[in-house]
Amino acid sequence: MTSEIQQDVTTTSTVNRRGRFGMLVVVLVVAMVASTWLAVSIGAVPVALPQAWGIVADGIVPGLVPRTWTPVQEQIVWEFRLPRALLALLVGAGLAVVGAVLQALVRNPLADPFLLGISSGASFGAVTVFILGVSALGGLSMSAAAFAGSLLALALVYALAQRSGRLTPSRLVLAGVALAYLFQAAYSFVLQAAQSGRAAQQVLFWLMGSLGGARWHLLPLPAVVLAAGVTYLLLQHRPLNAIAAGEETAVSLGVNVNRFRLTLFVLTSLLVGVLVATSGAIAFVGLIVPHAARLLVGADHRRVLPVTALLGAVFLQLVDIAARTVNAPQELALSIVTALFGVPFFLWLLRRRSVDRAVSVQ
Amino acid sequence: MTLDLRGVSVKLDGHRIVHEAGLLVDDGEVVGLVGPNGCGKSTLLRSIYRALRPSAGLIAVDGDDVHRMPAREAARRTAVVAQETPADLDFTVSEIVRMGRTPYKTDTSADEKLCVGALERVGLADRTERIFATLSGGEKQRVLLARALAQQTRLLLLDEPTSHLDVRHQLELLHLVRELGIATLAVLHDLNQAAAFCDRLYVMDAGRIVAGGPPDHVLTPELISQVYGVRAVHRTQLVFERLAD
Repeated sequence: MTSEIQQDVTTTSTVNRRGRFGMLVVVLVVAMVASTWLAVSIGAVPVALPQAWGIVADGIVPGLVPRTWTPVQEQIVWEFRLPRALLALLVGAGLAVVGAVLQALVRNPLADPFLLGISSGASFGAVTVFILGVSALGGLSMSAAAFAGSLLALALVYALAQRSGRLTPSRLVLAGVALAYLFQAAYSFVLQAAQSGRAAQQVLFWLMGSLGGARWHLLPLPAVVLAAGVTYLLLQHRPLNAIAAGEETAVSLGVNVNRFRLTLFVLTSLLVGVLVATSGAIAFVGLIVPHAARLLVGADHRRVLPVTALLGAVFLQLVDIAARTVNAPQELALSIVTALFGVPFFLWLLRRRSVDRAVSVQ
Repeated sequence: MTLDLRGVSVKLDGHRIVHEAGLLVDDGEVVGLVGPNGCGKSTLLRSIYRALRPSAGLIAVDGDDVHRMPAREAARRTAVVAQETPADLDFTVSEIVRMGRTPYKTDTSADEKLCVGALERVGLADRTERIFATLSGGEKQRVLLARALAQQTRLLLLDEPTSHLDVRHQLELLHLVRELGIATLAVLHDLNQAAAFCDRLYVMDAGRIVAGGPPDHVLTPELISQVYGVRAVHRTQLVFERLAD
């Protein structure tokens, strides 16, 4: 008798949770569309919401709606604002998902996409090509150089962190942090040695995150890498849960821990490399968004990953809108805006019991 | 037989922790592994569930070498209740138990039912939506046992399963394990408990298995003094029995 009642309780609460998850996904998708719509409408050249919608619709299916806008408005919305808004969604979703995965991989709630030194490597590549000039490195573009830098960092972190092909969370973190300092020192040196103060200022702005360089031709690569990465991770939600619960637990549940860790390390590094190469190192998104997602739907990665991706996309879209409007016509670096939200959240997180527990385990 | 160890040696950082250990656990048998701290019991157990690879010897479950089968296959045959507790992320009790279905990669209502059943079995059906980290030590232990049950294996490994439990929950857990009727190898601390609940015992000392057999044959005063360096005395003592429900 009792057990029947208890079973009922279990089933209902699971159903509630699933219902809530479904609702949340719908709400976030709506928020994503709404914030993107807002993003293409706001700016120095005002474009009313219906016109912005019309321009986008006309760009996708020409002739769908009667033209009520000027060619200048069309050019600004279609060629600059829309790719920028879409890149904001991609980068926000990508950084947030990478943060969630790394927090599970190294079992530390304070992990973020920049923990493993990959972004510092990317920044080093970008700074070098920017200061030395494109021709110095055989015509590499800044984002190609950033990506090359992230691959270099990946190889170095792996070489330092592995022991007979095995990665452990503590060695990964140590190697990542050490290399991050090394690359920071290296690009600071390059910056200091640079003759042009103006170039240095431009690079610093880029380092702190900007979506200002977004153009259509830059979108396919991050879009494809992100779609493939998130799809793979969603399929791996069970081993992700198991590895978040602990190495031995994961082993006893049939997860090939060494291979899985290596896959996650390479996958997240590539994602970070691609994202940093397009938009610089945007802080805090990868740290706080996964925690916010877990507060909403719990720790199960089957729900955490989609919610993290959507929440990250919406968050960065709003952050970019703020960065463009607060101090217009000057743009703020994105990390300044994310820090405004990020630091209070981070401090609140530090005061939570779970962090003490996790840190004391290390 | 279900578990068969022959000549198993395990090294940790170059030190040999387990020397040529051999043991058997038959279908439905509850076998205890006892010995002083640091004798290699847990290390031996870890090599059975593939957390460690033995440097020599054979570990076979249902006749197949566990270190030569896919990780998932091994996890379908052997479940573990170890001492490590997952506490970093806020998993709920039902999510932890659900992890027991990881080796099967299925997500049907049958899986759900199995997990609910496993939680009922350990008496925690009313805790499903609680955050695992907020449970008491004893409740955590029972949740991990429920996860192992959800894994539906023919072999169960327990590493000091009663260490966080009060005397009543110790007895309940051991009774529960007996009632399961699946082959069980348990590292136990308490010799009295080991004697009361196991069909057979193996005694380890300094990495070697030094004795094996029915409890009253194995736990002689001579062996206990040799292995633990204490004098064992048979005495009339307080015996705890679980009350009928």
